[in-house]
Amino acid sequence: MANTSPARIWTMRAAFPALALLIMFFHLLPLETEPQFWAPPDLLLALAMAWSLRRPDYVPALSIGLVMLLADLLFHRPPGLLALLTVLGCGFLKGRAAPHRESTFASEWLAVALVLTGIATLNRLILSLFGVEQAQLSLTVIQVVMTIAAYPLAVWASQSILGVRKLSPSEAETLVSRR
Amino acid sequence: MAKDKSQRDDYATPLRRLLTAVLCLCLAAIFIVWRIDSPRVERFRAQVVDTVVPNMDWAMVPVTATINLVRDFQSYQRLAEQNRELRSELRQMRAWKEAALQLEQENARLLDLNNVRLDPKLTYITGVVMADSGSPFRQSVLLNVGSRDGVHDGWAAMDGIGLVGRISGTGRSTARVILLTDAASAVPATIQPSGQTALVTGDNSAAPVLSFLENPDLVRPGDRVISSGDGAVFPAGLLIGQVAKDRSGRMRVRLSADYGRLEYLRVLRHHGTQVIEGPGGLVGAAPGDPLPQPRPDTLGKDSAEGTAEAGNG
Repeated sequence: MANTSPARIWTMRAAFPALALLIMFFHLLPLETEPQFWAPPDLLLALAMAWSLRRPDYVPALSIGLVMLLADLLFHRPPGLLALLTVLGCGFLKGRAAPHRESTFASEWLAVALVLTGIATLNRLILSLFGVEQAQLSLTVIQVVMTIAAYPLAVWASQSILGVRKLSPSEAETLVSRR
Repeated sequence: MAKDKSQRDDYATPLRRLLTAVLCLCLAAIFIVWRIDSPRVERFRAQVVDTVVPNMDWAMVPVTATINLVRDFQSYQRLAEQNRELRSELRQMRAWKEAALQLEQENARLLDLNNVRLDPKLTYITGVVMADSGSPFRQSVLLNVGSRDGVHDGWAAMDGIGLVGRISGTGRSTARVILLTDAASAVPATIQPSGQTALVTGDNSAAPVLSFLENPDLVRPGDRVISSGDGAVFPAGLLIGQVAKDRSGRMRVRLSADYGRLEYLRVLRHHGTQVIEGPGGLVGAAPGDPLPQPRPDTLGKDSAEGTAEAGNG
């Protein structure tokens, strides 16, 4: 019951941007100013996807869009593009979340991996269409692989620490009927 | 009940879809506007960074210091090995020090002979590195000086030794330095003994590529690369690094600045290079320049002779 109370929903809606700001903070720390040969996982993306698949009502498209736009601006990426792709990717996953309520984790992971690969491919494709200089392909590939590998971690953290779980059918019913 | 629910879903979903579509259109519009009118959006980005990052600064400094402390502890574990390395390096350095001292004396003598004054216009503002770009795909750092301190886009940033990058994007109290290693960075340079000009183009690796070399045969690994001042972007004569050849035979620049430890950067004030357009500009006064004042008559004849002699001597 506590999972569907409006107070809880709004707290978690605020928790997502707060968590995202924390992740951005650690990204911005001036620890590595030399070019790296590998790329860390994109935890923001993994978190957004894990939450979209578990509780789509915690992460409305507007929240994801604004958070990713802020990340684009702070991380010196082309503004708007990755935010747009993330909103579309998470929207696709949210659409899948309902019918696959009883699916296994493996199939969920596969879907996330496909969406992550799609986002990275489209990002590079659009950037090269618009003639923007890009870093080498290996970095993108490493980042996608690392993000896919880190996805179970993001799921574990959000389930056990923050309590973002899938709703049981009865809870879903109460949520829908109150709307 | 089930029918009721599906009806409500039918009602809620199109509205939500519409809102999501509007959001997507806005984001796409931002990207396209950025591509068309980059300076305006970059200015907006600088303002956003300027409002967000200084708020994090109070936490950033201690967290960075703590992480660096932990890293230092890790490096204590290899203390013996490091000690051996340092000793052998020290032996090499002694030899270099001897050479440097001799060169310094020679240099001082030559400068004295030529009566050279280094460009007095080159003053600098020192800034502290607050944050890096936050993503492995871009190479830039944020400094804690901005338009408040008179920093302008396009000025050069150096550490104590070599060129680090150029200012691109200034907020009120922050400025972004695009490092030479960034994929979007290109700086005109001269390679020293041969005088060849080239572009130092970053490609997100530790050593930028030398591109547009006219005659690569004249350039050898170990040659000095300095900024050429072409295109009036940078002051000329700033040290960038040394030429090195990579495994595939491309010419790269090993940067002199210590990119592993960028903490304080100097931003050089630069008010444009004076352009000499025609051969007359070098000899005569330019049309807009004020003419030299005629000598006032009130001064006595003796003092005039005195200055003339001093000038000759």
